[in-house]
Amino acid sequence: MNKVLISVLGSDQPGIMARVASVIQQHNGNIENLSQTLLDNVFGALLMANLADDDSAENLQLSLQQQTQGMNLYIRVHPWQAGPSDWHQNKPETQPYIVTAIGPDRQGLVAEIAGELFRHGVNITNIQAIFKGGKNPMDNLMVFEVDVPRAALMNDLRDALDAIAARLELEINVQHRKIFESVSNILN
Amino acid sequence: MLTPKEIISTLQMVREENLDLRTVTVGINLTDCVSHDIGTFKRKIYDKITRTAGQLVATCNRIERRYGIEVANKRISVSPIGVVGAPFNADQMVEIALTLDKAAIELGVDFVGGFSALVEKGMSHGDTALIDAIPQALTESQRVCSSVNVASTRAGLNMDAIKRMGVIIKQAAELTAEDDGLAAAKLVVFANIPQDVPFMAGAYLGIGEADAVVSVGVSGPGVVKAALERAMAEEDNLDLSRAADVIKQTAARLTRAGELVGREVAQILGLPFGIVDLSLAPTPNENDSVGEIFEAIGLPAIGAPGSTAFLAMLNDAVKKGGAFASSHVGGLSGAFIPVCEDLTIARSAAEGTLALEKLEAMTAVCSVGLDMIALPGDTSAEMLSAIIADEMAIGVINKKTTAARLIPAPGKQAGDHVVFGGLLGEGPVMAVNMGNQENRFVRLGGRIPAPIQSLVN
Repeated sequence: MNKVLISVLGSDQPGIMARVASVIQQHNGNIENLSQTLLDNVFGALLMANLADDDSAENLQLSLQQQTQGMNLYIRVHPWQAGPSDWHQNKPETQPYIVTAIGPDRQGLVAEIAGELFRHGVNITNIQAIFKGGKNPMDNLMVFEVDVPRAALMNDLRDALDAIAARLELEINVQHRKIFESVSNILN
Repeated sequence: MLTPKEIISTLQMVREENLDLRTVTVGINLTDCVSHDIGTFKRKIYDKITRTAGQLVATCNRIERRYGIEVANKRISVSPIGVVGAPFNADQMVEIALTLDKAAIELGVDFVGGFSALVEKGMSHGDTALIDAIPQALTESQRVCSSVNVASTRAGLNMDAIKRMGVIIKQAAELTAEDDGLAAAKLVVFANIPQDVPFMAGAYLGIGEADAVVSVGVSGPGVVKAALERAMAEEDNLDLSRAADVIKQTAARLTRAGELVGREVAQILGLPFGIVDLSLAPTPNENDSVGEIFEAIGLPAIGAPGSTAFLAMLNDAVKKGGAFASSHVGGLSGAFIPVCEDLTIARSAAEGTLALEKLEAMTAVCSVGLDMIALPGDTSAEMLSAIIADEMAIGVINKKTTAARLIPAPGKQAGDHVVFGGLLGEGPVMAVNMGNQENRFVRLGGRIPAPIQSLVN
């Protein structure tokens, strides 16, 4: 097993994945899992690949950088031996919640909310911002999908988030994920 | 991962469009409380109700926080007291109503329904005692609601019972004259009453139901209106087929929210889950009105020509969406058009756009009937009975539920304003054609036979 993690960042353009994947193929590597995302016009991808035993992360990184010259990409390849973190190995029983912060962007918004979630043992599984500007509150939305340990004190967490909401002039809601799923997924 | 659209649309329904669980209603069977002794009976029903639903309010509050959805009302429905209290006389029936009231106050629930009689074909001793007790029971209690089923498609119309109900409604209103006849607003007369309605004033627990069961009533006229308005703004060529689709999909989403909460409450209380009743039930607030949906679709006002056609489509689309989203949809499920409980409908009635006759026509295609209608105080008992008979006939012939909740407001004339407060709202006194006259047709009594089930034209 010669596992590597590859991160690719840069301005979105056609051909990034094609180029990266073909270099991995030239190295006789196999992509085991990958995810890509777009943030405004910024492309980001994370790939997990298995390389031949005599290959190395440094080699692959060099090839990738050479063959994507001119695309202005930031590419890093790291050897990856680590297993799941302690949290995942001893994962407490959790309940999935959605935390939404409604209102204009504020400096420190993510830091404050994420910090409070962390203090309550909550793990963020996904985070997305929907900032379109304007006066419609629904166009200025920050969404945290989180796993809350069953042992967490929900009332404490809600109070703490309410305090942040008051300070930053936001509305923060904490709702169980099931309500979003039930209302959205009619065909299941 | 949830998509932004899924997150935003759910948040919008809850935050801006008044999606709420109008009621979580625990149905409690009282047949095992029967006794010939009034003291024993009262103690047993009080104990069973407070024991079974002891955690209802606390549980609803917990679920409310978990999902961020308001549970607006917590209610109890019980077996028809006319049946389980059959040995008792009218005075004792009033005592039973006050016991139900005491249990409701102890539990912190908003209403208790089931002070009811099922008399579509005839009245037993218990039914007669219960009906006689209604005016005083609803006057002295705060939270008790009463319903009487006087007709069904299988049995026809019990005109003796309908004649009696005209008198009872009048008495109930007169006993609460200071409150514009409030007691009559807690009394509803039915044809084809469903056994599992969670909405008031018609909620009771049918004889065929379990020992205890949790049902939910979901509302959300504001959500339907907003969905229609959004679709009309976004789609250039939206026609009524597409509008029906939008209503149907919205109804399905509302139903899902209701079933989720209902099942969870049932699980925590250790009771079976019954049904979701998805009904567009307005409250006297902006953005929570069925009448506004009529305006959103392009009618000048509810009551204008076209209103019956649109109501038929609305009611049907709501039912279809609900039935698709949940296998256990029940109760009334459709669109309510209660005059005093709906700002826009009350306004149309006050402005004369909506008259009693048009309202009656519309009840042929809505899910309940002539609901929360204030009438002149001098409307005769016989005319009240005649209005009820007309409304029941619509239900009986069309194999649907119809109901009448009529409030002859003492001392008030057509055009005056009445105020009942809270969810019961306020509105104009509507004119009744020849309302203060006698009605010898009603006086004949007897039964109008059940309709033929073939030759359907």
